[in-house]
Amino acid sequence: MARTVVDPVTRIEGHLRVEVEVTNGKVSDAWVSGTLWRGMELVLQDRNPEDAFWVSQRICGVCPISHSHASAQSTESALGITIPNNARIIRNLIEAAQFLHSHILWFYTLAALDYVNPVNALSANIADTYALAQAAGTRIADFGAVATRLKGFVENGQLSIFTGHEGWFGVGAEKHPGYVLPPELDLIATAHYLEALELQAVAAEIIAVMSGKFPHHMTSIPGGTAFVPTEQKLDDILFRFTRVKEFIDTALIPDTLAIAPYILGAASFGGGCGNFLSWGVFEAEDFDPYKRYLPRGFIQTSKGLTAEKVEATDVNEYVTHSWYSSPSGLNPAEGKTEPAWEPYSTDGKYSWGKAARCKDLPAEVGPLSRMLVGYVNGVKPVKDIVDFALGKLSAAAGATLEPTVLVSLLGRVAARNLEAAVVAGWAIEWVNELIAAIKGGDSSYFVTERAEAGKGVGLWEAPRGSVGHWMTVENGRIANYQVVAPTTWDISPRDEKGVPGPMEQALIGAPVVDATRPLEVMQVAHSFDP
Amino acid sequence: MSTHAYYREAHPLIFVITHWINLVCMVMLAFSGFYIHYPFFDGFMGVARGMHFVAMYVVIINLTFRIIAAFFVKSANKMGTREVDLDIKNWLPQEENKHQFWETVKYYLFLRKEGVISGKYGSLQKISYLATIPLTYLQAYTGFCIYAPAMDLGFFKGGLELVGGPMNMRIIHYFIMWVFIVFTMVHAYLANIYNFAPSKIIFLWKETEAKGH
Amino acid sequence: MAQEAHGALHDLLAVRGVSRRDFLKYCGSVAAAIGLSETMAPQVAAALEGAPKLLPALWINGGSCTGCTESIAQVDSPDVATIVLDYLSFEYFETIMAAAGTWAEENITKRVAEGGYIVIYEGSVMTGQDGNTLFVGGGPNNEGAKKGIDILKEVASNAVAVIAVGSCAVDGGWVMAHPNPAKATGVAAFLQKEGITTPVVSMPTCPVNPEWVVAMVVQLLLVADRDPAKFLELTQWVKYTYHDGVTDQDVTLTLPKGIYGQSIHDNCPRRGHFENGEFVTELGSKEEAMGYCLYKVGCKGPQTYTQCPVTRWNRSASWCVNSGAPCIGCGGLNWVDNNAPFLKRLSDIQFDGFLGMGNTQPGHIGAAVGGAVAVGLVAHGLGMKAAGRIGDGPPMEEMKAYDRKRMAKKGGDK
Repeated sequence: MARTVVDPVTRIEGHLRVEVEVTNGKVSDAWVSGTLWRGMELVLQDRNPEDAFWVSQRICGVCPISHSHASAQSTESALGITIPNNARIIRNLIEAAQFLHSHILWFYTLAALDYVNPVNALSANIADTYALAQAAGTRIADFGAVATRLKGFVENGQLSIFTGHEGWFGVGAEKHPGYVLPPELDLIATAHYLEALELQAVAAEIIAVMSGKFPHHMTSIPGGTAFVPTEQKLDDILFRFTRVKEFIDTALIPDTLAIAPYILGAASFGGGCGNFLSWGVFEAEDFDPYKRYLPRGFIQTSKGLTAEKVEATDVNEYVTHSWYSSPSGLNPAEGKTEPAWEPYSTDGKYSWGKAARCKDLPAEVGPLSRMLVGYVNGVKPVKDIVDFALGKLSAAAGATLEPTVLVSLLGRVAARNLEAAVVAGWAIEWVNELIAAIKGGDSSYFVTERAEAGKGVGLWEAPRGSVGHWMTVENGRIANYQVVAPTTWDISPRDEKGVPGPMEQALIGAPVVDATRPLEVMQVAHSFDP
Repeated sequence: MSTHAYYREAHPLIFVITHWINLVCMVMLAFSGFYIHYPFFDGFMGVARGMHFVAMYVVIINLTFRIIAAFFVKSANKMGTREVDLDIKNWLPQEENKHQFWETVKYYLFLRKEGVISGKYGSLQKISYLATIPLTYLQAYTGFCIYAPAMDLGFFKGGLELVGGPMNMRIIHYFIMWVFIVFTMVHAYLANIYNFAPSKIIFLWKETEAKGH
Repeated sequence: MAQEAHGALHDLLAVRGVSRRDFLKYCGSVAAAIGLSETMAPQVAAALEGAPKLLPALWINGGSCTGCTESIAQVDSPDVATIVLDYLSFEYFETIMAAAGTWAEENITKRVAEGGYIVIYEGSVMTGQDGNTLFVGGGPNNEGAKKGIDILKEVASNAVAVIAVGSCAVDGGWVMAHPNPAKATGVAAFLQKEGITTPVVSMPTCPVNPEWVVAMVVQLLLVADRDPAKFLELTQWVKYTYHDGVTDQDVTLTLPKGIYGQSIHDNCPRRGHFENGEFVTELGSKEEAMGYCLYKVGCKGPQTYTQCPVTRWNRSASWCVNSGAPCIGCGGLNWVDNNAPFLKRLSDIQFDGFLGMGNTQPGHIGAAVGGAVAVGLVAHGLGMKAAGRIGDGPPMEEMKAYDRKRMAKKGGDK
């Protein structure tokens, strides 16, 4: 039994620490800590409810859109506002642009280096690389130029963002055995890594056009939107969505399917708690969360692959193992935040994150949850692409794979990329829906009438998972504010009963081939996009 | 009961004019200021800003002139007399004002019946009039602090840093305006509560004879 | 090596279809942003391409949301790959670096010992809970973990310069907004308190605009030749002094004047509508579509000093006002407290429970005081009437009360 720690876990948003116990080459126990506390919920006290839209999104610089949309919804539900249809579509589009931005950035920039070895790409045969790219149906790039650039970079000796990791890639040390891709595939992925940097920026430009800038956007103000589209701006949006969709269809999806056969082992670990929560995202015309494009639902795989209903009242947060002195087990509507640091102890308190529980169970949130809930609800594009991917994987594995195989590290990685393809398709439909609505004479974007007091909740989805904002308004001011962020769910520490959180459970059972270089731990941690 | 006479010597013509200028400019400043604060109708911002600046300069010049004139122009410094002396004597504590501050307060709080002896101006009156002088200059200063071409100059920048930036200075500018509004309300009320003789002399330069003598 | 870096950028630009002309055009805008003449573009290009060795950089995340990192990924040209691979050598950059854990932490230790690097610091400096509101890098049971504030001290002590990017790093940003629960402060304030004299350049807005960061790095490479003294001397700065509550001292911030010297209002493309008195009164209205001025819905452009309308955001795609939203003043100091409520013209006054009042609008206070005085005067007037003073006034005293008392006293003495 030996303890191994990864702190900081890099290539994520924020500050995360993972401590694992390795027994006989496998993780036997795990503790995941959030190591930063800033106090957003307290900063928002006594401010105008509308202001929470701008301030609360600054919890997260990678998913600000979703936080702001959850916040706007909590204000709107507290003050009795229903936003106009045009505002609904515009928010969906802004949200979609962030999903596409985030998923592209996550796969290529944040997660890829757990699987792709750019140093190995140097030994690729360029002709074979083109042949492989064609066979995999993935995007052609100037692979020769990328190889030359890479070579110059490695020989230069200044490794920039690869400094300290070169040994894992096999420079000056033995290559980590976890890097298993052939050099040609490494080169393709590296070329797309560079291209993805461009495409994530294009997706972010869509947000800028509709909402000023990204990260941290401006127009989805409680009541509707301040963005009134012009023909020029609609063109700017449609053109960019089309470009991003093309990249997803021709690079992200084929790359995922090309890499998957080499890492099929990842289908047998990293599944986690088996409970999946989705609040639902992308509002439909009737504002029913169970009819959102990606619908709301809660799946307990122990009871089978079916989704049950879930409401805001099903949530509570424990602080038994978190640095708070406020009461444990409260529903966020009554939640309190009183920080109280004491020395770190895996037996005692070890995280700034609270332990969020749904129906008193740890719940995984994120694309895997949404795709599973969408799948069991029969959402057509979701079902189509999941079945398509399962077919490809079954062929590679030489066995028929059931949807339950998705409850694994591999499934979690794949689900995120498959979701990107689904959302990209919808986004283009929504631009056309907006154009049709405007042509039909709908010129309403914002509702100004609102109540002075009320209790509200906004339950929504960020690219990385379920986000909830709870708000109490008295005399036109915020009397209480509580946020349950996606990461609160996934990296939650143990609860009152000692049940570990989703990431902790996903880590337990993961193989660790080289205890001094726990690549698999990082793969599992990154798969949550924490 | 009786009232004293209001003679032109109390407010020589030049001070009637400066008072008028003050009134007109202050109204323009408050109006244009409110408009700049929140434009309550369309199409007036350029004019409002121009008005705000012109009226500010006029008020400052007028006030400065009024201060200087106090040392040269003669006016009555007692009630109901044609006897004149240097106007500045009205500004400073007079024999008649001594020991009368609390008595004046008591009078206005209905804690005493009889009116209090005073010079042309009572103690409270004198203090509040004097206070408007630094306040007017201060208001111009805070205005310059939030005016972009001026705010980088050391004289104004120091003030901005002291209060923590242009937003706080804007709020101070806004509150000082409310002080002027409150002053004007109290001033107009107290000046005219008994009868309109004071207004007749300061606005129309029309004399009123004493009554009850 | 120099030739390699040079060649790499040339190849890259060619591959991407970026012409020499486009590149020089970009260099011209970088030059303008840092207050140089656009004729300096060739020199800027030379600085970008000809640096003898990549400048080592440590990108440190304090109490951050990673938004400034995200923002850097949205840089125009040179694109982010160029910056990260051919331009600066980021030996520590939590969000994109390959290494993690101790393998990453060692990079810091090595680089600090060697020197000759810049620090780019993102996020607030977290001093709350005795500095434990942020800690990184512990072993089993968190042994040897460093507080965020100790890492800042370590990296800043031997750096050529520290660039504090984003409002959080500048003065604590939203994290230090009332009631500042995590006792956040800015880099300049914290280093001053610790007596560390490494020059700190502050670059507010939330997040930071990536083009401005590039401009500052170019300034350090080109004009100052990596010499901090020259860097400070040859750049035009604007200085702000403020009182930092957490460290309880006056702090002077140094901001590049080319970027933070003019108000958003003065450069706003909607300024004409302001002067004409054409305003958006209701969000999402037809006036929004006509691009009218957002002043009435709380735009903080008049008191926010950044180049947003000129540089714009996300590779010039747009910026806040252009999309129809009022500026929230994220480039100012203590920007949340100084600008909220964002849809109102004036910020709230924070009474913090004094007389049972919380955050209150100045307009409410003004109207309440004015109203109370008006009511008071009417009541007083009725009192005056009741007391029979209206008309001819009260009977006058024959002698001052003071004199009466004194005479009575004298009489008593006799």
